[in-house]
Amino acid sequence: MKHLPLNLRATPAVSFIRGMFRRRSIHFTPEGTRFLLFTLGIGLAAINTGNNLFYLLLAMMLSFIVISGLLSEHCLRRLEFHRHVPDLIMANEPTLLTLSVTNRNKHLPSFSLRLLDVVEGKDIDRGLAIHLLPPQSSVLLSYPLLATKRGWIRFEGIGAQTLFPFGLFRKIGRYSTEARLLVSPPIKPLTLRFVDELFSEGQGESLSRRGDGTQLYNLRLYHPGDDSRAIHWMTTARTSQLIVRETEAEDQRRITVILSVVAPEEGGPLFERSVTFVASLLWQLTERAYPVQLIVGSEDSGFGSGPAHLLAMLRLLALCERQWPEADGVGNDREHSPFNNEGERGYTVAVLPWSNQAAATNAVQADRVLNAAQLEELTHAF
Amino acid sequence: MPFDQAFALSSVLLATMAFSGLVLAQSVPFWLALPMVIILMISALHAGGVHFIRRAIARVTVSPTMWNILLIGAFALLLIDLTVVSRDLLPAGIHFLVVLLAVKLLTLQQRRDYRHLYAISLMAILASAALTSDAWYVPIFLLYLITAVWTLLLYHMTQETGDTAVGHQTIPIRITRHFFWLTNGTVVLAIALTLAIFFLIPRMGAGVLQKTSGEALRATGFSDRVDLGTIGSVKQDPQIVMRVELPDQPAVDKDRLYLRGLAYDQYNGQSWTHSGTRRRSLSLVAEGTFLVRPAGSRSSNSLSGSVRQDIMLETLDTAVLFAAPFAELVSGEFLEMQADAMGGLRLPASPASRIRYSVISQAPQLAADERMASALDYPDAILAHYLQVPMASQHVADLARRVSIEATTPFERTLAIQQHLLKNYSYSLEADTATLSHPLDEFLFTRKTGYCEHYATAMVVMLRTVGIPARLVTGFLATEWNEYGGYFTVRQRDAHAWVEVYFPHSGWITMDPTPTVSTAISTSRWAPLTRFGESVRLQWDRLFVRYSVKDQLAVVHGVREGTDALRERVSRGVSLLSAPIGQTLSRLMHMVRTFHLGMLELITGVIVVGSALFLLMLRDRIALWATTHLPTSHPELAIVQLYARMLRMMERHGVRKSPAATASEFARLVEQEWKAAAPIVANVTALYHQGRFSQTPLTPGELSRAAEQVGQLQSFTHVVR
Repeated sequence: MKHLPLNLRATPAVSFIRGMFRRRSIHFTPEGTRFLLFTLGIGLAAINTGNNLFYLLLAMMLSFIVISGLLSEHCLRRLEFHRHVPDLIMANEPTLLTLSVTNRNKHLPSFSLRLLDVVEGKDIDRGLAIHLLPPQSSVLLSYPLLATKRGWIRFEGIGAQTLFPFGLFRKIGRYSTEARLLVSPPIKPLTLRFVDELFSEGQGESLSRRGDGTQLYNLRLYHPGDDSRAIHWMTTARTSQLIVRETEAEDQRRITVILSVVAPEEGGPLFERSVTFVASLLWQLTERAYPVQLIVGSEDSGFGSGPAHLLAMLRLLALCERQWPEADGVGNDREHSPFNNEGERGYTVAVLPWSNQAAATNAVQADRVLNAAQLEELTHAF
Repeated sequence: MPFDQAFALSSVLLATMAFSGLVLAQSVPFWLALPMVIILMISALHAGGVHFIRRAIARVTVSPTMWNILLIGAFALLLIDLTVVSRDLLPAGIHFLVVLLAVKLLTLQQRRDYRHLYAISLMAILASAALTSDAWYVPIFLLYLITAVWTLLLYHMTQETGDTAVGHQTIPIRITRHFFWLTNGTVVLAIALTLAIFFLIPRMGAGVLQKTSGEALRATGFSDRVDLGTIGSVKQDPQIVMRVELPDQPAVDKDRLYLRGLAYDQYNGQSWTHSGTRRRSLSLVAEGTFLVRPAGSRSSNSLSGSVRQDIMLETLDTAVLFAAPFAELVSGEFLEMQADAMGGLRLPASPASRIRYSVISQAPQLAADERMASALDYPDAILAHYLQVPMASQHVADLARRVSIEATTPFERTLAIQQHLLKNYSYSLEADTATLSHPLDEFLFTRKTGYCEHYATAMVVMLRTVGIPARLVTGFLATEWNEYGGYFTVRQRDAHAWVEVYFPHSGWITMDPTPTVSTAISTSRWAPLTRFGESVRLQWDRLFVRYSVKDQLAVVHGVREGTDALRERVSRGVSLLSAPIGQTLSRLMHMVRTFHLGMLELITGVIVVGSALFLLMLRDRIALWATTHLPTSHPELAIVQLYARMLRMMERHGVRKSPAATASEFARLVEQEWKAAAPIVANVTALYHQGRFSQTPLTPGELSRAAEQVGQLQSFTHVVR
């Protein structure tokens, strides 16, 4: 016999109790406020006069209030939300997010729903409205999201508000649909002069590797799947074995980009622009198929190329955080020595949003150092 | 019908209902009502989409400034009305409301205008509630409530459709069948809740400003002096004076009921008066209950059974209270009550509004020995008061002697005189004798026609001339039984006069010499309908208009008594159920009841909880049965529900289907995780595939097979557990 897992969350009783205590909030609409004032007025008149017909009218108005509560609750019960978010988006780039809403009610539709994003405890109206959601049906909504800064966006849940049936009260139900969305720094165009300079300087640090090109890199045995056009017939004839030729990649430069995360508070804006600059630079390098390595503080992406590697590097950039300089004015990432040129890093570009002269000289050993003044010049248009 | 059109139409209807309330309360003069009706008709036609009205209204353009001037003018009219014309705030305010309603109906353009219209309508229906308590308010209120629900819903829905937000699912722009029934369901819910809240809401009103229920009815024949012939003036008046219920008596036995008002002992030849004007205050025996000491001597063995009456008396211009002879106990919301020497009941002052009171009366029956006695020994006080005759009554005395010459006992003499009057005189309302100097002689010897006053006066005088004490009584003779409401309706035309004859041991015996006249009661084919409407009015008055904190307490007591009765019934049921189980349990129950009353509730609770748990355990079986057997609007969903049920069972067993897994993948997973259940899951999955994704729907047999398999799985999971 199999031992049953004790999953309290799944039991109907617990679900029911949770449903009962699901968070709701009620706000008066202007019409509702007036309605309530009228109700109070009639109530006072009824008490003052003892006229039972006034009590009857009072009962009618109170019944409208009760019905508002019941029907609005009915609209908000048994709603299910599923949010679909991409892995990574770029800041300042509009992105389409989708939200699936399902009415699990068996018989009655939900009316007049307006959906709110709950982000960092605040309700954000994205202009999403569902006027009618029939029972046992779903609707897929999409809305543009424009993230203005890099990092995580934490969606805590969805708020569904309804004015149904009489528009007297705005009842909001909150549903937990936690999701996180990573926002990378935006990609900005860099000046052509700077990029060209950078590439020409990096030529000397090239290493030979196989790749697309015309120069011979190596001869080796043929493997199934190799391009038959690459067979080196002369050697094949000489050795009686199928030999193929490998070419040397024409673009062989390897570039390491180092971003210092040390900056005081007043250097914060420049730091952010520097992160954007690095992201843009990495994008340029990836476009040109350079093997690139990114070192951010103590994080190292390793060498790689292509879109997947670019995304990995952008994630690093999205999550990097500015660090306070130590008392001696030297960055506290010195011990990890990312600035010491160890091993084969190829051409190294160091981006220093903040550094005093001594620290920079001592700590950074890079082929190209971009200091704060240069970064100001390069990123002033960002 | 499109939403917009329905919305405009319901708004106009709401205003119409409110205006109807004011009109029915007779608070809107004709010169104001007529243009308002025309405006309402035009607005309704405009909202209903009648083209030529729309075109005509579109041509008429009145600037907002003009409307504002009109409103200021209406306000000025209010001031004039208040200070010069009506000189009362309520009528002037109502006139102002009607004018505002008219202006708003003509300027319905923006949503704000509609909101103003609703507010004015609410004030109007409130004003009509202040002005009336009649039963016509029921249909008006119900229609207002229905229209209000429709209007508020449509107001909200039209706002939603007009909203500029990004809508991802548009509302149908026409009223669909679903919306129609949803709204009507809301109406029913609103009515039910309104009634529930109305009856439950605590009554805290002192009623100090409560309006009286209109002008008091003029009651004739209940003053200290009654001229002969005055009752005749009201014998054609159908206005309702009171309604009398007999809660303890079967209705079929009650074809006539005498409701005694005042008695008179002195007749001067033209009018009747009291000889003694002294009144005594009645003593309270309980809160609101007064003890009426028997008027006159009565022996306890001659009393018949008591008659309880619940009387709702309309506003009359007299302080006299009416009851069947003779009142013993009177209960009502009175601070003080008085009685005169002849048993007439009075309040200190005429009530300002409709009153309700209960009376327990005991009518004396003539003792057998007095029926046979040849001579009766009357007390001196009785002889002094009740043998007085006018000076010129010799002819009457001769007639009385002649009529009763063959009678040997006082009772026979009484009967002979009564029979003489019944047989030899005819009933007529045209015999106006109020201006005659000897109306009795005119009745007895000349015209020989008259009505109750003449008959009763003649009998009293004739009895007195032969030495039998008697007196005249005025009141009402109720003959109109309402079978729908179970009460007598008493109208002005039921005003009556009759005779009370004194017998020393039996007391005052009621006798009526007036022949029965059946024409007084309406016999038209609409009479049942009228009586039904009458009954509705009474229920309205009792349940709504007069509903008070006492009624609330009565309801609470009723509920408590009902609960006690239910508990008793449950207890009996438990006893019956326990009998087959054995006497042991019965003895135990007896012991439990004997030693601890609370144990009975405990056992009942245990049984109820046990039954609930039993049902809870069977809920899966019940739900499974319902899935396949109960009719549904989406039969194709049955297999989906069964499959979902199967997934839940598997999940309980620890085999969970991940959202990404297909049904086939899940079936393969089950094969690995729980081999015994795999064939069942595979079969249900195959049927699920067929039912959901193929073009061939499942047959009922296949569906039953799927249900059977899921049932097997359920049993299986229970065994495994």
